[in-house]
Amino acid sequence: MTCGIVLLGVFAAVTALGSLIPQQREAMYYVRNYPDQYEMIFRFGLDHVYTAWFFIAVVTLLCLNLLLCSVVRFRRVSGDDLVRRAAQLKTNRKPDAEGIAKAEQFFKDHKCRVTVIGNRRIYTKNAFGRWGTFLIHLGILLTVFFFVLGLSTPFIMDISCYPGDSVVLDDGTRIYVDSFSIEDETGKLDYRSMINIRLPDGRETGLRSLSVNHPVGLGQYKVYQQTYGTAGCISVTDGAGNMDRFIVEASDFLSADGKTGILIDNLYPGLEETEEGTTLITSVSGSYPDPVYVFLLMEDGSQSAMLAFPGDELETGGYTFRFEDPVEYPGLRIKRSSAALQWLLLGSSLLLMLGLGVTFLMTPVCAVVDDEGYCLAGGKPEGYALALKALTEKEDTHA
Amino acid sequence: MLDILFFGGIGFYFAAVLMQSFAQVWKKEGLGATAWIVFLAGFVLQSGYIVLRGIQAGRIPMANQFEFATMFSWGIAVILVLLHYRTGLPWITLFAMIMCWAVYLYAALLPREIHELMPALRSVWFVSHIGSAAFSYASFMLAGAAGLRYIALYGKNKEDSRLEEIDYFIYRLISIGLLLLTVTIVIGAVWAEEAWSSFWTWDPKEVWALITWILYAISLHLRLNRKKRGLFMAWYAVLSVPIVLFTFIGVNTLMSGLHSYGAIIPFLI
Repeated sequence: MTCGIVLLGVFAAVTALGSLIPQQREAMYYVRNYPDQYEMIFRFGLDHVYTAWFFIAVVTLLCLNLLLCSVVRFRRVSGDDLVRRAAQLKTNRKPDAEGIAKAEQFFKDHKCRVTVIGNRRIYTKNAFGRWGTFLIHLGILLTVFFFVLGLSTPFIMDISCYPGDSVVLDDGTRIYVDSFSIEDETGKLDYRSMINIRLPDGRETGLRSLSVNHPVGLGQYKVYQQTYGTAGCISVTDGAGNMDRFIVEASDFLSADGKTGILIDNLYPGLEETEEGTTLITSVSGSYPDPVYVFLLMEDGSQSAMLAFPGDELETGGYTFRFEDPVEYPGLRIKRSSAALQWLLLGSSLLLMLGLGVTFLMTPVCAVVDDEGYCLAGGKPEGYALALKALTEKEDTHA
Repeated sequence: MLDILFFGGIGFYFAAVLMQSFAQVWKKEGLGATAWIVFLAGFVLQSGYIVLRGIQAGRIPMANQFEFATMFSWGIAVILVLLHYRTGLPWITLFAMIMCWAVYLYAALLPREIHELMPALRSVWFVSHIGSAAFSYASFMLAGAAGLRYIALYGKNKEDSRLEEIDYFIYRLISIGLLLLTVTIVIGAVWAEEAWSSFWTWDPKEVWALITWILYAISLHLRLNRKKRGLFMAWYAVLSVPIVLFTFIGVNTLMSGLHSYGAIIPFLI
């Protein structure tokens, strides 16, 4: 027990340390922000506490302790005939006859089950409550076990995908993004994509709505709405009137011959007029209220830096480039993991909660009453002890 | 109207604290009874404020630090009222009233604007996760209040018959708080998997909720298995309160993480 308490304390201290020092950053982050302590941080692995050897050692010892505690508790409860054992106990509270009757009535009022052995009455209630601490320890042990197992199995990938495009994973699974919006029809923020997942065996979800807190899953895959981004959009029309639409990012070069065309520098949220002239606004919030395209016009071996706004058109090399409104695209997280493992993890957490509920709300009661008095045994029915003490002491006072 | 209910609630709670203090110092039972009625009036105003704010916001008001603090304070008041009428034990009242008022006063220091619920918080787990957290913190605070009362009584008379009773209630409040905190953590893990793809991310809020859980788990081990109770457990309950407050306030104000929705100034993404 002492060992378990010490281990819990050490575990708490180590986890606290991990929250005080930012974890898993670049080495330079620690050099800049902890100029006097960074050597110690690197030496003891304090930049990755939750995967450091000492943390894993503490968790392992804690799990061993939990295992032993679970076994001890199981052996203590299983096969133990509480009623027979209680019948051997001596009474330790000895009020007068009226007090004993009051106590006995108290047990009956609290719906205790009575077993008569000789001249002794054994009152019991919530016998299942004795399993509570065993269930708690087993629940924690299984939760930690499945959690650690779960850490080693999932495959996680973050991708950006433009509406109308799809991503094909290594095993042939295809995730298609049909559309993305950041507001619902009432103008409320609601990051939502319409996606389709198709597995290599041909099974598919069909077009499903994906939003924050509502991932879409199929087989071992689950897709999450994580972030979003904004990209430029340019329509290009040739002399015959054929039109194509391109979603562009920085450094994209739109050209038919590789020489004449436009080289995208960047897309900015807007322009700002200052005393020093016009400057480009850098996106902080992620919104693009007055988008500005900055690009290089490449023609005849020369290049000129230019700005364009949505709706502007430019002709070069026999093509017409029309700058459209930017498009928003989703940042998706794709996770592949065992669904069975997740259910086991959830089940073990529920076992832990059941154990706590049983321990705290179904305190086992076992009381022995005979002609001399009564005693409370088994579990720790402190509430009963207090109530009975008050009841019988009052009786004594009256007597 | 909202401001009247809000500041009215704080005012009534403060008046109840003052009256209850005088009642206990001068042993005036009548004043104590009046203090309780004033406290109940404050509770009604606070409940009204929460309901009205919820109607105006179109959701349960628990989406940022201010709303959580209000709910936390209300949780203390709810448990105190339940304890008062179920057990008829007045010994916890003064310290609990002070805690209820202090947390509500802290809420008054925060921005009160109603914001639209951000997408990340629109989940079926929202109410159960945050609600159980508010009530678990409230239970721990009341355990601390009971601990203070125990220490005060123990200082006057080590044989006081009420000590055993208070000690038992410290244990019960901690066990209820621990059960609710477990619910908070487990539901939070399920929600995290839905929102961020991982049950556990070692986010500062998660870490400190776990530390709080361990702290109270140790206290129950000490009590149930090492027979540490009485004055030791009263001090333990009192000294654990700063950790609960750090998990609630300190983490949100001093550390950044995935739980920044609870930060003082809510931001949208």
